[in-house]
Amino acid sequence: MPQHTIEFGKFGAQGVKGHEAVARQLDALADFIASPVTTRRGLMARLHYLTRTPHARAAAREAGLTVTDRTLRAWLAGARNPTPHNLVRIDTAYRTVRRHNIARYLLARLNRRGRGTRVEIHPLDQSGVRPPHQRFVEFRTLNVRRWEAIVDAWAAGDDQALDDAWTDQIIDLGSQWGQYEYVTNIGFAA
Amino acid sequence: MSDFDAIDSLLASLTPQPALPEAEARRDLRERAGLSKAQVARTLGVSPSTVTGWETGRDPSGELRAKYAYLLDGLAARFASPTSPASPVSSAPLASPDSAAAGEAAAPGPAGAQSTTPQPTDPTPDSTPSPTLSPDSTPSPATGGDGDDVAALAVPEPCVLCGRPARHQVAGFPQHLDAAQCTAPNAPPAEPPVPTVPAELPSSRTTAPAHPAPGTRAAPPAQPAPGPQPAPGVQAGAGVRTGAGARRRRTVPVVEASPDPVAAAVAEALTRHEGDVEAATAALLKRAIPDAMALLDDCRKGGRYAVVAHPWIPDVLRKQSARGADQIWEARPKWTRPELPEGRHEVTALDINGAYLSALKTHLPLGQLEHTVGDVHDRRRAGVHLITPPEWEHGAYLPNPIGNRDEPGPLWVTEPTLRLLLRLSGPKYALCEPPEIHESFTSGATENLLEKFRVVLKDARDRALADGDEVTLEYVKAMYSKFVSTMGESNYNRELYRPDWMHLIRSQAFANLWVKALKAHDSGLAVVRVMGTDELHVVGDWRRVFPEGRGVAEVKVKDVYSVGAAPETPAAAGDADEN
Repeated sequence: MPQHTIEFGKFGAQGVKGHEAVARQLDALADFIASPVTTRRGLMARLHYLTRTPHARAAAREAGLTVTDRTLRAWLAGARNPTPHNLVRIDTAYRTVRRHNIARYLLARLNRRGRGTRVEIHPLDQSGVRPPHQRFVEFRTLNVRRWEAIVDAWAAGDDQALDDAWTDQIIDLGSQWGQYEYVTNIGFAA
Repeated sequence: MSDFDAIDSLLASLTPQPALPEAEARRDLRERAGLSKAQVARTLGVSPSTVTGWETGRDPSGELRAKYAYLLDGLAARFASPTSPASPVSSAPLASPDSAAAGEAAAPGPAGAQSTTPQPTDPTPDSTPSPTLSPDSTPSPATGGDGDDVAALAVPEPCVLCGRPARHQVAGFPQHLDAAQCTAPNAPPAEPPVPTVPAELPSSRTTAPAHPAPGTRAAPPAQPAPGPQPAPGVQAGAGVRTGAGARRRRTVPVVEASPDPVAAAVAEALTRHEGDVEAATAALLKRAIPDAMALLDDCRKGGRYAVVAHPWIPDVLRKQSARGADQIWEARPKWTRPELPEGRHEVTALDINGAYLSALKTHLPLGQLEHTVGDVHDRRRAGVHLITPPEWEHGAYLPNPIGNRDEPGPLWVTEPTLRLLLRLSGPKYALCEPPEIHESFTSGATENLLEKFRVVLKDARDRALADGDEVTLEYVKAMYSKFVSTMGESNYNRELYRPDWMHLIRSQAFANLWVKALKAHDSGLAVVRVMGTDELHVVGDWRRVFPEGRGVAEVKVKDVYSVGAAPETPAAAGDADEN
């Protein structure tokens, strides 16, 4: 599309892709376990979350935690500790399952029975751009009414789908929507 | 200046030509409005025969065309529908064909004079676009051309010397040329009323302001004539424009006309719980945060600034861990006087009412915080600053304005603390050296962002105090205190994510308390303790310094205790309060 930025940062602008900022904010709303997985407290909290019910175990297995039940039991009992590689897999599986579990409720809160949620779009940071190349990009807000595609892509961890879904939304900003492909922050409440 | 006016008019003539209705329609419009050709001609500064030409097929050009199109637009807006009343003209005598003829007979003088001069370029930018001179008031160039920079005014303006409407200006200042007119406050205005002002013209200017006629820009609001009995002519001249101002004023209460949301919520809760005060209070406390956010939204309607709720937050404002704190030092005071003079002292513990409510008035950054480096402070911005605080040498009788900081070295403080330090280092107080600013995260700021919100809550609080309404009092208190405590990274209020505001408001409360301590000290009271947000312990007759009561500008007595009778008073002071 002609509005897409081809060489972002060529003149010193800083920012992240809009869909990354959206995913970051959705993650913030998801309230993951705060203690890192490398601490015993954080590890146990994640393992308990992933093994509480047979359904959770199945979801964890699907999310990549393909270890035997015996290993899981040993981890839970503290008899063995996961290898660093497995710690990463535990954390990834936890995030995936958690996102998947809360997606329904997050979606309902964001859609608000069709009223949607007001989204603040903070433009990219031009402090590193030489003044002749700086452009006036203002702070914009947008009411997003349908979050299904965004939340689904976020829960599935599909970056490309999230990018597409988010681009579909910011097109409503008007002809300058390309200026908001990269942002410093995207804020909304749920 | 006249050169530039000429250029302006030249440029104006280059603008696209506004469309005019058909020739018959022009005449029709004018006649339906009851205007004579002479009136129109005088208003536009042309001769009546020119108007006749325009109404029989010729077309004006340039600025005249813009003015004529503007007039016809206004007439069409008023008289396009045949059912509308024929004439809303207030005081202008309607022109019958006879008077039109009379006007035509009277007109040639000014019309001829104006057609020779480039009059439509309108040398005074603040005069109205239509030269509404009546024939007898038209000054001949000879009267003004006596060497001084005297010019005639199309519309009377208040004399700079006496305030009465004056017809002339000298070097740009409207004033009377005759001293007798100027000194007599009740003298009739110099000129008879202007009878031929078509009242539609200025009022239609207010109804259709989109027309960019070059002369219509920047007509400043006229001050009403300060004389006790303005002559009718003055009222006709100024009344049109003050009418526009009155219309502007009238729109304000429409915005504010919503009923008091606090009282409505309290009444609704009481009805739902059938008058059970405790249950109603509990229910209200539960909904205090969403209600405060709704009130905030309501208070920002029509405001100049939007509340930016989710800006990017610098790392210094982020919590280090889930339960940790960020790096901002709020300068919370916690100070006990090291020693009192010998003897027994009666200490009064004063409580500042609604400290956080008052602290909502502070310089709040509006948008995203931007980073700057260097020892500069911009008064129009607010945020957080990394400073090296100055030495404080008055700890024996006044607390340090940055609180009791144990660690040396630079620290991140907020705008209210920095402003307090800058004030105290200024020539008026000269209590310390100025702080050294190393870096800042600031944004353009305003003190009025939460002002309406604060006033609504303060009014509700005052009413509740007057009525002894404990439910409303508790509700209002929960609203503002929870609003402040959850506006940062709280999960109880996700609508607003401004940890910077939270720190600034708290610091403002502490700074306010510090200033009260200074006031007590300056008034001869001995400050014994300054604690937390709202606690001030003093020795002496504090009632002559602080009014007592429960309003936000008053203080409340929390406790009275005695210290002393022994040299080790500070320990006693500390123990007596630590109950």
